[in-house]
Order: sequence, then C-alpha cells, then structure tokens
Amino acid sequence: MIRVLLVVSIVASAWAQSPAELLAQGEKVFNQSCATGYCHALKGGSGGGAPRLAARGFEEAYINGVTTRGVPGTAMPAFGTTLSRLELVSVIAYVGSLNGLTPSPITGQRGMPAGPSLSVEAAHGRELFYDATRSYGRCATCHEVSGVGIAVASPIGKVPADAAALRSLATPAVKTAVMNGESMPALVVSQGKSRTVLFDLTSAPAVQRSIEPGAVTIRDESSWKHSSAISAYSDTELNAILAFLRAAIKP
Amino acid sequence: MSFYYDELIMTIAVRVLPFFLAITAVAQSGPADGATRADWPHYGGTQLSWRYSALDQINANNVKQLAPAWIFQTGDYEQGLQSTPIVVDGVMYLSTSRGQVFALDAATGTLLWNYEYPLPKGRANAQNHGVAVAGGNVFVGTYDDYLVALDRKTGREEWKVAVNDSKQCGCAINGAPLIAKDKVIVGETGGDGALRGYLAAFDIKTGRLAWRFFTIPGPTEKGNETWKGDSWKFGGGAPWMTGSYDSSLNLVYWGTGNAASDLYAGDRDPGGKGEDGLNLYTASVIALDADTGKLRWYYQEVPKDVWDYDAAYESILIDREVGGKLRKLLVHVNKSGYAFTLDRATGEYIKAFPIVELHTWVKGITEDGKWVGRVEPEPGHPVDVCPSPVGGKSWNGNAYSPRTGFVYTPSLEICTKLIANRQEPREGNGFLGGNWILDMPTDRTDYSHIDAYDPLTGKRAWTYPYKNVVLASLLATAGDLVFTGDPEGFFFALDAKTGTKLWSFQTGAGHRGSAVTYSVNGKQYVATPTGWGSIAASMVRGLLHDSNRFRNGSALVVFALPEGAR
Repeated sequence: MIRVLLVVSIVASAWAQSPAELLAQGEKVFNQSCATGYCHALKGGSGGGAPRLAARGFEEAYINGVTTRGVPGTAMPAFGTTLSRLELVSVIAYVGSLNGLTPSPITGQRGMPAGPSLSVEAAHGRELFYDATRSYGRCATCHEVSGVGIAVASPIGKVPADAAALRSLATPAVKTAVMNGESMPALVVSQGKSRTVLFDLTSAPAVQRSIEPGAVTIRDESSWKHSSAISAYSDTELNAILAFLRAAIKP
Repeated sequence: MSFYYDELIMTIAVRVLPFFLAITAVAQSGPADGATRADWPHYGGTQLSWRYSALDQINANNVKQLAPAWIFQTGDYEQGLQSTPIVVDGVMYLSTSRGQVFALDAATGTLLWNYEYPLPKGRANAQNHGVAVAGGNVFVGTYDDYLVALDRKTGREEWKVAVNDSKQCGCAINGAPLIAKDKVIVGETGGDGALRGYLAAFDIKTGRLAWRFFTIPGPTEKGNETWKGDSWKFGGGAPWMTGSYDSSLNLVYWGTGNAASDLYAGDRDPGGKGEDGLNLYTASVIALDADTGKLRWYYQEVPKDVWDYDAAYESILIDREVGGKLRKLLVHVNKSGYAFTLDRATGEYIKAFPIVELHTWVKGITEDGKWVGRVEPEPGHPVDVCPSPVGGKSWNGNAYSPRTGFVYTPSLEICTKLIANRQEPREGNGFLGGNWILDMPTDRTDYSHIDAYDPLTGKRAWTYPYKNVVLASLLATAGDLVFTGDPEGFFFALDAKTGTKLWSFQTGAGHRGSAVTYSVNGKQYVATPTGWGSIAASMVRGLLHDSNRFRNGSALVVFALPEGAR
C-alpha cells in the first residue's frame, strides 16, 4: 500500500512540477543516461553514434515506447527498468520538447479517446462510433464525444434508450434554409448582422456555410431524419454505441 | 432584318460550325499545352504540372539585369514559406505553412486582403504548400483537416468542411487542392502513421462531397487481397501532395504515399509471390475518373515498400512521340530516386530511369519495370541503403520545358541505415515500424544536383551539382531559364540548355517553396517564396556543410527587369 502510494505521489509530483522544471530535470537525465559514449549527442543533435533525436517529428507515444522498452537488436536499452518513474517521465518530456511537443499532464494521444474502463459491448460501441472504415457514415462525422469527433451537432445530453429511439430521435434544431431558391436541411450556428452561419446537412460531411443574412431564409420545420444519418449501422451496433455513450457521457 | 439574322445563323450553323469543330478536333489531337502565360493559375502552373511558362521577356540574354520589384513579408515564420503562389488576373494568392492566406496586387505587392485561420495550439503538422483558385473562390486545406472556401474578392469564408478529424487520424491537408472542372480535390498527410489514405472531391460552389476514394481497397473491393488480415485499415498510402488533371481524358492523376508501417512489412504482406502488386494502391500513381472518383488504372512503383519510398510527388503530363506515334505520357519521380514514364491513357509502363547517382537499395530494373535485387531491412537485420527516407528527391517540384524536351529534377544524394521493428498500429499515431539514421555519403562533397533528363531515354543532358540540398521547386520558362533557390538564401537562374548558372540573388533566407512567373500589363515578374523550414529541412539539419547558416523566414521576393532593359 505504501509502495503504491509512493509511485502515485512520484508520478503526481512529476506533473506538479512546472513544464520548465520537468524539462530541466529531463535534460539532466538525458545528459547522464543518453548523451553518453557512442550514443546520442547533446541536445539530441546529430554526430552521436546513435540517431539524432531533435526535430524528427517523433510522437510522444513513440518516444515513450522506445525509451521504456528499448529497440531490440540495437544498442538502445529499455530504460523502463533502470530509470525511476520520475526520471523516465522527465526524459520522455525532454525528448518530446526536442520534437516540438509541449509537456502536458494529458498525453497527446491521437485516435479514439481512452475513456473509462468499458464493458465489452460499450468498447465495441466506441469503435463503431469513431469507425473510419464507415467513412462519413460514422457518428463522429457530426458528433464530438470525449474531445474527439466533429462538433456539428450540440453536445449529446440525454442518451436515447434504444436503437429505435435513436433512429426516430426528434431533431428540433434542424431547420430548413433556403438559398438561391434551393431548400436544404440546416443547423443554424449563428445569425449575426453581417453573416448567417449554418451547417448544410444535405449530405455528409455537413458543410458549414457563411452567408449574408439577406441571402438566406430560415424556416422552422424540416423533413430531415436522424435515421438517414445513421443508416450505416445495424440495430445491434446502435445499441453498442448507446452503451458507449452512456459510459462516456455524464448527465 | 430578321430574315437576314436567321440566314446568318443558318450560315454559321451549317457552314462555319463544322469548320470550327474540325479545327477544335485538330487542336485537341495536337500535343497538350501545359505552359502558363500571364497567370499562374494552378499549383503546378497548369493542371498538367509542367511548372513552365511561355513568357520569355526575361530570358537567358537579359536575366543578369533582373532586380527586385517588391517584397512581401507574411509575418508567419513557422516552418518557413513552402508555398506556390497562385496568380489570376493580376492578383496573387499566397498561403503560409499554417494556412494564413494573403491576396496581393501582383504588380505592386499591395495587400488586398488576408484571411486568418486560427493558429494551432501547440505542435501541429502545419506545412501548407499553397491554395487553389477557381471561379469566385480561393481554396485552402488546413493543418486540422478542413477544406475552406474563401471569397476571392474579400477573403471572407464562404464554406468549410471537415474532411477528417485530425484529433483521430493524425492527418492534415498540406498539399494545395487540385481543381478539376466543378470540383476541388484534396488528399492528406499521415501515411507514416496508422491511417488509410484517401482523396476527397467537393463541389466548388456548395462544398458538398462529390466522391471519396480510399487508396487502400476495403474488404469487398479488388486489391484488398494484397493486404494481410486487417492491415489495410492502417496501411498508409496517404496522397499528401497535389495531383494533375487531363481534361481530354477527364482523368485525375495522383501519387500515393508509402505503405505503413513504413519499414516493417511482416504484418501487411499476405505472402505469395512477394513483389508483384503488393499493398495496393500504396506507392502508386493512380488515375481516377474526375466525375466519379472511380479508379481507371494504377501503376505501383514500389510494391511492398519497406523504405518509406512514397510515390506522392507530382505527375507531369506531356505528349511526346514514342516510336513515331504521338502518345499521352505521364512522368513521375518516386522517392526511391527513380523516374517513371507511363502512358497516361492506360497506365502502361514505358521507361524508368534513376535520377540519383546513389541507388543502392536495388540492383536495377528490368526492361518491363520489375525491380531486381531489393535490399530490404528486417527486424534484427538493419541495412544501409541510398536514397534515404528524405528521398532521392523531396516533394519540391520538377519542371518540364517543351522547348528543350527536358524534365528538370532536383536530386538528393543522402543515404541511411534502416532499422525495422514490428509495431502495433494505434490509429492516428506514428507507425514507422522501426527507425532510420541518415548518413551523408563520405566519398562526396556535393549532396544534391539539378539535372536535365530526356524522359523517353533517361539520358542526362546536363547536371548542376550543389554542395547542400536543393529543396525548392524548379521553374522553367520559354526564356530558356530554370529558376530555383538554395538553403543558403540564393535564388538563381540556370541556362535551360546547358545548366550554366547565369544569375543569382541573395534573398536573406533559405528556399523551400516554389517560384512562379506571371505578367501584369505586359510586364513579366518572377516571384519566389523564401524562408527555410519543413520536415525534410529538420531531418537534414546538422548533416550538411552549412546547415547552421540556413535562415528561417517567410517572405515573397519578386523580380522584374528594370525599365528599358531588353
């Protein structure tokens, strides 16, 4: 118990440092453990026996993986077993800074958000929600959840009970815009004095249009249906997506 | 009166029109004209991507008198200035690496309007290469994967669409969009990460999606069998540059990026024959129907790539006689240091030739275009090869002159140690499958050269060696000049026939963009971006003779002949 607390407090203290302190600590570790012998050059520059590390466009995940686990078959050792957690975190942040990354308590991971621990169904639902193989038919084309996705629609508040409710979802925010004699389903973003901004929902992905207010008429009703936007999913898949949303969205 | 008019119209319809149509038909069967004139309307000059202008007021005889006419400072120095300015009707449209857009009076440099796209928070893959102009709009792709249409007169945003979510895909739109008829087409970066590449075409007026073509076929499509298991989902093939368009065939041509993971193929090679059409359509030139986005043909330059040898660079569309017959050709340089000449109607292989002196990754290529003796890295067995992942040439453009018949290339002589490692893909994150260490060849003092090649024979007519790296595009003109710039800040002109240097000017910052030429009121101008930056520029930092002297910056320097010069 004490050991667990100690590890947690060390990691926490790494983040409690200012970014400048963290990087200074990381540079010290780098100079002692990495810029040595035939290995990396100071400040990650070229000229060492090992690869240059500065300005290589490295991702944090990559730096983390290589530093922690090493590169089998090369002279790069696995520092995950020899450096303390604090040293490891700081040196990863330092090498990140040589590649233009800013240290942040939240790792700069891309991809689907790493949410809370999910049930098997909800984890499947998360994959479906962001599923790139469904092209513009995926939910994330119009919805942002946990910071990933395109926020065309307002944040999801209440999660529908089941697939049927999701398909027949009432969408009072969708209006009808008429421009140049053409009607289109639209989500109005703003109606200012000089510009009206709206999303044209005629086809996916939604197109954000900026128009002079006089050139567009907005009518309240619309024949647009949420079911048309989610036709890429089966009912089983939609239920999995709803399980994910229930876990990811706090009411 | 009305009788007279009716008769006149009948006369035109019956007698003149067929004659006119006949002339048009003859014109269409002649060689395609990829030269620019007063305007520089597209990224590659015209949609045929020659980077060649028919203007000859500035020529080999008077280029020594060239002098600065005006300079524009963008104020946005991040990643230098990597753009190709677009010039239409005396107005220049310029974008910075972070997608800030400027409209300038092309004769005076006076700022007409500017568009401020929100700057990235922290690090972003912001390497914008230029805008596109069509009708009343200017189009720009962004580092966070939006395509934006601006009003050409005011710079105001008209429409904007999320082509993808950069937070998930780790991709960006850095290439200049391509205009093909009523569509604006973009590709994306990200092929060194876990991503499935695609092109997307949007209606110019409404921004609505017209089609999307994935460069890797899905499970129900032909070609998917060239991928092992689920590896197609994150197999790379990012078409991150700008394509070309042939209106006579209505085909869009685009080069695709390397397969991912870059250096390790064990998880994407389904086994079998090994080197014939593997991991389609990565490292390929693809031809798509401009209206539907349907694949017409492909030519895979590097099957099962394990060297990061993208085929993403531009396709030069030229018509030349082959065996006594005028043929529609496509010339394309691969990162592997080889150039390919293909039939652009069919994709048929005609010729491949090296544009680098060091190409040790392969023993050679057969008469029908099959690689022989590939040197492949494998886990536990690193290999030393040339060229490096920087490329036998970077993305900076070639030029083609119909007067000399030469394709001009900026080549790089950089080698590498490639270390392959198995890696699990994580969507949108780096997926190199190993690492590399760049090596400058020890027995050379020049690490790049500008060359003139006959694209039918592969014969080099001349070479201009340079000690550092040429990472700026080439510009050829009917004045028999080839312009480009170097990282030390010199913008210079070579004789297009001989490669002799005729003129140079120190612009104060390194060159990583693309010079263009145009005319306003009969006066010819040559404009070059200046400002060192980009991924390749960072990769070679510290390896070159003078790299601590290469200056960042972000300015456009424009030249013209002084009054009274001839």
